[in-house]
Amino acid sequence: MKPLPSTSSKTPVKFRMPTSENLVPIRLDIEVGGQRFKDAFTWNISDPDSEVSVFAKRTQKDLKLPLAFATQIAQSIQTQQTEFRSYKGQEMLTGEKIVPIKLDLRVNRTLIKDQFLWDLNNFDSDPEEFSKTFCNDLGIEDPEVGPAVAFAIREQLYEIAIQSVATARESRNAKKGRRGEYSSISSRSTGAALDLMKLFSNRYSGVRKRKEWDVFEPMVDMLSNEEVAALESMVERKPR
Amino acid sequence: MASTEPPAAVTPPSSKPNLLPLASPTIITPSAAASVAVAPTASSSSPATPSVATPRPIPSDAEVFHIPSYSCWFSLGDISECEIRCLPEFFDSRSPSRNPKAYKYIRDSIVKQFRRNPSSKITFTEVRKTLVADVISIRKVFDFLDAWGLINYSPAALNKPLKWEDKDSKSSQHAADSPAGPSLDSTPPVRETSKRLCGSCKSVCSIACFASDKYDITLCARCFVRGNYRVGLSSSDFKRVEISDEMKTDWTEKETLQLLEAVMHYGDDWKKVAQHVGGRSDKDCITHFIKLPMGEQFASSAEFGSSINKLNQMKDDNNISSSSSPSKRLCLSPLADASNPIMAQAAFLSALAGTGVAEAAAQAAVTAVSEMGQGEPKADIRSLHGVQGLQDASITSNGSDVLKSVEEAHSGVNPKPEEKKVNVEEVEEEIRRVAEVQMKQIQEKIVHFEEVDSQIEKEWKQMEQMRDILFYDQLNLLKHERAIRKSGQQAAEGVRTQGDYVS
Repeated sequence: MKPLPSTSSKTPVKFRMPTSENLVPIRLDIEVGGQRFKDAFTWNISDPDSEVSVFAKRTQKDLKLPLAFATQIAQSIQTQQTEFRSYKGQEMLTGEKIVPIKLDLRVNRTLIKDQFLWDLNNFDSDPEEFSKTFCNDLGIEDPEVGPAVAFAIREQLYEIAIQSVATARESRNAKKGRRGEYSSISSRSTGAALDLMKLFSNRYSGVRKRKEWDVFEPMVDMLSNEEVAALESMVERKPR
Repeated sequence: MASTEPPAAVTPPSSKPNLLPLASPTIITPSAAASVAVAPTASSSSPATPSVATPRPIPSDAEVFHIPSYSCWFSLGDISECEIRCLPEFFDSRSPSRNPKAYKYIRDSIVKQFRRNPSSKITFTEVRKTLVADVISIRKVFDFLDAWGLINYSPAALNKPLKWEDKDSKSSQHAADSPAGPSLDSTPPVRETSKRLCGSCKSVCSIACFASDKYDITLCARCFVRGNYRVGLSSSDFKRVEISDEMKTDWTEKETLQLLEAVMHYGDDWKKVAQHVGGRSDKDCITHFIKLPMGEQFASSAEFGSSINKLNQMKDDNNISSSSSPSKRLCLSPLADASNPIMAQAAFLSALAGTGVAEAAAQAAVTAVSEMGQGEPKADIRSLHGVQGLQDASITSNGSDVLKSVEEAHSGVNPKPEEKKVNVEEVEEEIRRVAEVQMKQIQEKIVHFEEVDSQIEKEWKQMEQMRDILFYDQLNLLKHERAIRKSGQQAAEGVRTQGDYVS
């Protein structure tokens, strides 16, 4: 099988989430008085800003939190929004980039560990679809797992997108000196990216080797109440 | 008096989504205080379930969920027109994650989640934690379902009058909107006379609403906060408009007629009027009286007395709703009646001015009019000043305040129909004259400016000519200078050569 020529696009692209819609992962971790509120969800960046305060009030009312939470929540969301928007005008490089995404999360009583490859160039990708299929296929009953999985994927994609903005800047500066090494920089500096061709160049098929199957298999585990309590107390102790 | 909404029973499609999802709404569950007339709901069943001619018996083991009859278009199997209208952002392909499939997923999940435990209200936060989508989409769908009573709805909640008011107004509005809506014509929509309809969610505004004059849009408080307006608008384009608390305790037709009667009899004595009406304080009576659409009566002012008589007759004939409702429905705001352009203009002007100014102006106009016998010029000047004051001010107010002051001034003067008519006509005259004078002023100014303009042009031309002459002179001077210099040089040379020659 002759290796196909690399079709990577070296042209820089405007910053955005590499998914079909510009949904931003928002993480909340607010402590007011003695109460701690942690949350994580996806936010549509193109919605008007009035939504932030409405959402904050709603959440605070629904969860019967003290009033101070509403303003804090709104602030936190807005900060993260502005952060995302600050990247907006800049460019990012998306070479031939297949990145491994790792899931390692615990939602209520369900523990999930998984690892898979994601194509960063595919701007039509949809973590939400992936997450829904994931939960359906693995028969996960807890409905809160779905959003958590989608969130985790988005968060990692966001991180990678931010990194690629940085590398785009670097390579642009480097480009002024050395033209020829452009391609090597782009593929070298994003450490996690794999060159698709290199991966398959020695294989006769696209199927993974048997010993790698365990690594890429999703693992879903249900914990008992004591284990959950133990894990939570460990987490609480860590930042203190 | 049917004071409760007839709940419609809906059998869920459960496992087979392509089942005809709606039982005919004529089936009422044998529960609660549902001693309601079947007729209103029967008429509403048609377009939603066209193929169901006869009511189906509910299978005994099926679960029954209550939804209000105006939501009977809802089915878990597909998406109806109503949803497309109320949540257009999911159906206009503007954003890839907001598409009909996603909408259906969110909607069905929320409804199913609620139905798992229909006795308790489900909160938005519970829902959004379990759905794989961005939280704003979830919230929009949630609010929509909540508003239509498809979730968090239980027949017991109907006894709250305020909620019923909302549903009643929604239902009667939708009766006008689509034939599928319930025809609750037992409760006439008279109460909604001066209510404002929201432009986006098509519900009636209560308490406060937001109006954008730039684009002529009215939004209810809910839609404004939700940001449910078009992309071009921003929150700063909207002004808050308070709707008075009087809306909350609406006046029935009976009370209104009593009020009118009392005013006719007692005129200015609001205490007696309040006594006659019963249950309303004198202040309430005054405010409500002002808000009544008097504009029509001013327009046909000769019939002022006869219209009151007409109303009395109507009352006797028990034909209240049809007579008062058209007169009330015609004027959303008093005096904005198109049939009388002068009064409409007065209303517009007074809306531009501050309340105090408008009141003062109106009072000035009326007092001026009452002094008619003492010479016209005075009246002219006073009303001129008054209305000029109107035009100089700039804050919004209610037209009702002007009407209030006009009314009070009127009742102060002499509450006889003929004199009233004269006063009002005089006021109109004055306003017309003022407008004419203003126009003349503006015209004169224009003419003056044109003259000044032409003068300036003439002077400009003169200046140019002078400049040309100057330039010409300069040129000549230079020429002469050069010529002289040359001849001077030649002369000097001539002398030198001669000198050489000599020596």
